[in-house]
Amino acid sequence: MTPLATTSQKKAREEKLGSVVEGRLKTYDPGTDNAKTFVALLRKRMTRQIAASLVACVHCGRCAESCHYYLARPDDPTMTPVWKADQIRRIFKRHVDWTGRVIPWWVDAWTPVDDGDLNRLKDVVFGTCSACRRCTLNCPMGVDTALLIRFARGLLTELGIVPEGVFNVSRDQWETGNQMAVTEDDYGETLQWMREELQAEMEDPAIDIPVDKPDCDFLYVINPREIKFDPRSIANAGRIFHVAGESWTLPGNGWDMTNFGLFSGDDSLGGWVAKNVYEAASRLRAKRIVISECGHGYRSTRWEGFNWAGVDQRLPIESVVVTLDRYLKEGRIKVDKAKNPEPVTFHDSCNIARSGGITEAPRRVLSRVCADFREMVPNRTENYCCTGGGGLLSMPEYRPLRLEAAKIKAEQLRATGAKLVCTMCHNCVDGLSDVIKHYKLDMKVVQVLDLVSRGIPR
Amino acid sequence: MSPLLKTLENEVQIAALLFMAAVYALRLAWLFRFKSRKERTFAEGKEAAGIGHSLLNIAMPWAVESARKKPGVYLQFVVFHLGVAASIAATFIIPYAPGVFEVMAVVRIFQVIIGAAFLVGLMKLFRRLKNPAVRLISTADDYVSLVLMVLFFAAGFLAVPNTYRSSEAALIAFFALTAFFLVYVPFSKIGHYLYYPFSHFFLGRTMGHRGVYPLKRRERGGAR
Repeated sequence: MTPLATTSQKKAREEKLGSVVEGRLKTYDPGTDNAKTFVALLRKRMTRQIAASLVACVHCGRCAESCHYYLARPDDPTMTPVWKADQIRRIFKRHVDWTGRVIPWWVDAWTPVDDGDLNRLKDVVFGTCSACRRCTLNCPMGVDTALLIRFARGLLTELGIVPEGVFNVSRDQWETGNQMAVTEDDYGETLQWMREELQAEMEDPAIDIPVDKPDCDFLYVINPREIKFDPRSIANAGRIFHVAGESWTLPGNGWDMTNFGLFSGDDSLGGWVAKNVYEAASRLRAKRIVISECGHGYRSTRWEGFNWAGVDQRLPIESVVVTLDRYLKEGRIKVDKAKNPEPVTFHDSCNIARSGGITEAPRRVLSRVCADFREMVPNRTENYCCTGGGGLLSMPEYRPLRLEAAKIKAEQLRATGAKLVCTMCHNCVDGLSDVIKHYKLDMKVVQVLDLVSRGIPR
Repeated sequence: MSPLLKTLENEVQIAALLFMAAVYALRLAWLFRFKSRKERTFAEGKEAAGIGHSLLNIAMPWAVESARKKPGVYLQFVVFHLGVAASIAATFIIPYAPGVFEVMAVVRIFQVIIGAAFLVGLMKLFRRLKNPAVRLISTADDYVSLVLMVLFFAAGFLAVPNTYRSSEAALIAFFALTAFFLVYVPFSKIGHYLYYPFSHFFLGRTMGHRGVYPLKRRERGGAR
């Protein structure tokens, strides 16, 4: 069992952070009966969809071989999705379902009695599942195990029984409005830097990376990783939008479309972050929202955010890859395949393909901009997770197991013989980079914007 | 026909059926007591098509990797559930349309199906005991439900000829087990068929709304 690390939580309480004082960010309190609260929360937050997934499982075990954790550790029966889901299901049976309340031993119903039990559950739901939903699509009974995992994560987050990284990123997003605690100055300076680079590169002082420009065709929202570590992706997007003659803007506030609420299971954080983006679009009277390349950001902003925030969708929202696909189709940008001669394969992000419905647009784009595009097998909704999903990149304590489970992904990548693996998710970029380094693969990770930008003749 | 068998085939079975129906109704009311989340986003696909795909997934082994990769296991699933259907049909045919089983060919077809299901039941039991991953998640209910099904198939195999002189003991066992099932099923995993439409409805609606389901043509039948 990984011990519960609470140093950051203690510091946040001592510093009287607004999110902690106002009760939005929950911290661990060893003095209360957390097991009892956990059960009360489980009852209170139960939905019909979750209940259906909890009662429908027949313990057939067919999900096992769809999980990269189990495939990498076939001798460890605790790696099957059904076992992981059962750690929640047993509590449900003991307190909510019928048979388990009367004769618990008959259906192996169980209840957590202390914080140690909850900490063990934390290790299961945060540490052994990337919530990729591959098992869900392989379940004969339609059990949505990823939904159950997120549900349990949300209950533990409410009690502060979370990996320290989960607490830290949640804190940053609550406190600063973005996951990486990027300051207003950092944001402005990085955009100015990219603006100047773009102007020099295009030899056009009029080219802009606009911020807070009202009445544009679309509001472009990004991942804070782009500001911190990969600003070229913003310049690439700016260049392509300029060539396409697009009317677009970034917002000054509400620019982070990533959403740690998806990973922590905290709907209130998820709803608040998503609402910031929706309100920015409304404030600037944008006609649509375009999301840069990010798997969980796309899923959160396009699909889950409205439901978490309790607001109806008013504007169309799309991934920037869909925008690029349209530009190519309409002839608004011209590309030259010869600019991307290396063999390229495509990694489908779980949140975009299995939980988001986008599988063909990136393929159409890559087929137009790459001389040698090859599929990895399996692909689309059957693709394996990059292993960095579910927020696992922020939980270093589970890294050894994550990289062990990445064996499946490494084999899949190696078999393509590609030199570049393209993905439309910043999280996957980091996840795949870890896999490539750990398994010593001869390939690099790129994104769709990189290849399209490179494919546009200078 | 002995009075015991007559009572089991009629009054007991009807009472058990009514009990099961009442418990199922309560069970559905229980499930619908939980709130349902409202979908607030623009649809990318068709919810009805997604629901249809999810519900029929089970009949499309080529569309589900776990079935596609292990066709033998899928075949076992089909045989087992055909055996269930045949056995349930027999519980109605014997008391209410006994003439059907006067045709020997029909009896033999039922026996082949139920007999095959019996063998599959034993294989499933063996797998549950042998496979560490399945053993770890198995509960008393899982084992007992499977053993009861195997016994039910065995009794059904012997009962379908419906001849009182030679197989009354099998008929009594078959109808006693039927009555027990009807009462026990709503409280056990065997009642999973009650939840199947709902779990698939919810998943299919979400996936259909997002355009994930129905899987695109190139996704069905395996990835390239």
